[in-house]
Amino acid sequence: MNKSRVVIVTCSRNIPDLTHPDPSLVLAMIKKGFQALSGEAEAGTALARWFRPGETIGIKINTIGRRALSTSPETALTLGLWLGQTISREENIIIWDRTGEELKEAGYKLSTSGGSLRVFGTDHRQAGYQSEPTAHRQIGSLFSRIQAEFIQASISLALLKDHGLAGVTAGLKNYFGAIHNPNKYHDSNCDPYIAELFETDSIRKKHRLTIIDALRVQYHRGPSYHPQWLAGVRQLIFSTDPVAADVVGWQLIEKLRARKGLPSLKEEKREPSYLLTAEKLNLGQSRLENIEILEEEV
Amino acid sequence: MDRRDFLKCSLAGSSLLWLPGISSSASIFPGSSSPAAGLSRVEARYYQKLPYREIRCDLCPRFCQLGDKERGFCGVRENQDGKYYTLVYGQVASLNVDPIEKKPFFHFLPGSEAFSLATAGCNLSCKFCQNWEISQMRPEQVKNIYLPPEAVVASCERYNCPVIAYTYTEPVIFFEYMYDSSLLARKKGIKNVVVTAGYINPGPLADLLGVVEAIKVDLKAFNQNFYTEYVRGQLPPVLETIKQIARSGCWLEIVYLVIPTLNDRPEEIREMCRWLKNEIGPDYPLHLSRFHPMYLIKNLPPTPVATLDRLREVALEEGLHYVYVGNVPGHPGENTYCPKCGKLIIERYGYIIRKKELSGNKCRYCGQVIAGVWS
Repeated sequence: MNKSRVVIVTCSRNIPDLTHPDPSLVLAMIKKGFQALSGEAEAGTALARWFRPGETIGIKINTIGRRALSTSPETALTLGLWLGQTISREENIIIWDRTGEELKEAGYKLSTSGGSLRVFGTDHRQAGYQSEPTAHRQIGSLFSRIQAEFIQASISLALLKDHGLAGVTAGLKNYFGAIHNPNKYHDSNCDPYIAELFETDSIRKKHRLTIIDALRVQYHRGPSYHPQWLAGVRQLIFSTDPVAADVVGWQLIEKLRARKGLPSLKEEKREPSYLLTAEKLNLGQSRLENIEILEEEV
Repeated sequence: MDRRDFLKCSLAGSSLLWLPGISSSASIFPGSSSPAAGLSRVEARYYQKLPYREIRCDLCPRFCQLGDKERGFCGVRENQDGKYYTLVYGQVASLNVDPIEKKPFFHFLPGSEAFSLATAGCNLSCKFCQNWEISQMRPEQVKNIYLPPEAVVASCERYNCPVIAYTYTEPVIFFEYMYDSSLLARKKGIKNVVVTAGYINPGPLADLLGVVEAIKVDLKAFNQNFYTEYVRGQLPPVLETIKQIARSGCWLEIVYLVIPTLNDRPEEIREMCRWLKNEIGPDYPLHLSRFHPMYLIKNLPPTPVATLDRLREVALEEGLHYVYVGNVPGHPGENTYCPKCGKLIIERYGYIIRKKELSGNKCRYCGQVIAGVWS
């Protein structure tokens, strides 16, 4: 069995403000991540493995925590600009989440005009949700038209957070923001809902990469913002395997918790069981022995 | 007119009937599913504050425990910095004047018009929901108008409706709005009825029973597996709700949507009817309603009328006095028959009453008291 590769890129330099990381540092981390993940000498060359020229690429971010705890604009915009300039056109990159209001509160400036990156929410009048629900296993939801219709390729640019119900929220659960009714899928530790949602055509067939923003990690009492349990980790995690990426994120949360003397998620009866479910659905590797972890620094 | 036509021309679904004289504070986006109105921010009742700005909602049996900025299963109640808010107070997603028979209430002020309203949201997730376009939505995903309780009562008076019906979605999730509107309505002599799945905790229900006159409970099935798989809820709390309503003296009617192959076994209906008769007596009406393919269950046919006939026979065999067939206009099972002399005492066609042979609350032919609220 081929192992799934996960790359952890750590910024060894001091980042004075992790809420507003220096874009040049972020870009260096992104390029390093793509290089290591692909094995290519050039990050730009690596992109051709996963994206076709001219494709519209969606970058699904997480802004539910507004300014305090969201995917930072510096990270998302840096990635978007680089993708646009390297493999596509800027206007073919859509940075998006549920609502324009959440995006704005997280520090994003909305943009839908041509010639530049597009940043908007599903609630934009030209977007919205599909009118007919998608039914798949336990899932019955309307999909954001951004995810289902506007884009051909998708990157889950997720924050890494502890989650009171799911255990961990990262790349897979980030797609809860692509449907109209995520509140219906938090029973039983969000399992099997997170995995089954990812398995739908609108997500699985478009998802190319998970990039977990672990510059700061909310390792306890998440997903809400609690500064006393927020660690500056200065890492980005990359993988084409959405399950493996989240498993590595989970391990990072466990390390941070152990370091602070907190019980493990298993001890708190909320280990992310959806990851094993995802593996059973052949969405990726959930066992560490099947994951190759490469650690890089910039 | 069959039920499908009714659905088309009434407001079920997301279409909002703009009653003349009721103005909208919302901007509407034609052809768009974008949100329309602002959300309310009224502190919710029935919740506990927990450490670290978390809360626990005690309104329904889910007991959602939520961190800051999280919403409950219903999608309309949100923790904001450790305080719990209803986002739908006065935010009406559906508004109409309906015959009360549409709810259906057959033994409560028959022939009355009910000023009917709903907000978005539901604390269940029925795969066969007939109103999913509003019930399974968050308030910002539908078109809303702002209609505070005072305006509800004033509008109701303007339309000469003797009843307000909280209906279409799940009124439990807009409890505060429903409660305050009911309280005001009562002062004006307007009655309040609730159409609910009964998924509510005993404390809030007790408070609600103090301000409403009738409740219709949708009993989705009489087995837990169905509730788990198709409703995403628990059966026992619903049964407790039914018992509590009956004990309170509030008028009660029960609807059972019969879905082919899923909850249509005669043995299950027989068991349910025995339970109903034992726990609340034979006099509360039971409506066995016809299913039409909808939402996530489109692979099943409409319920055969013969199935409804058979199940009605079962219910009558078990001794229930008033068993109706719903969603089949013109079916004799729409009529009320005296449980003593067997004569037809209320003849209906769909939501229309053609004949009423009651003298006060008694059968005109034999004098038998017919349970219900008739005036």
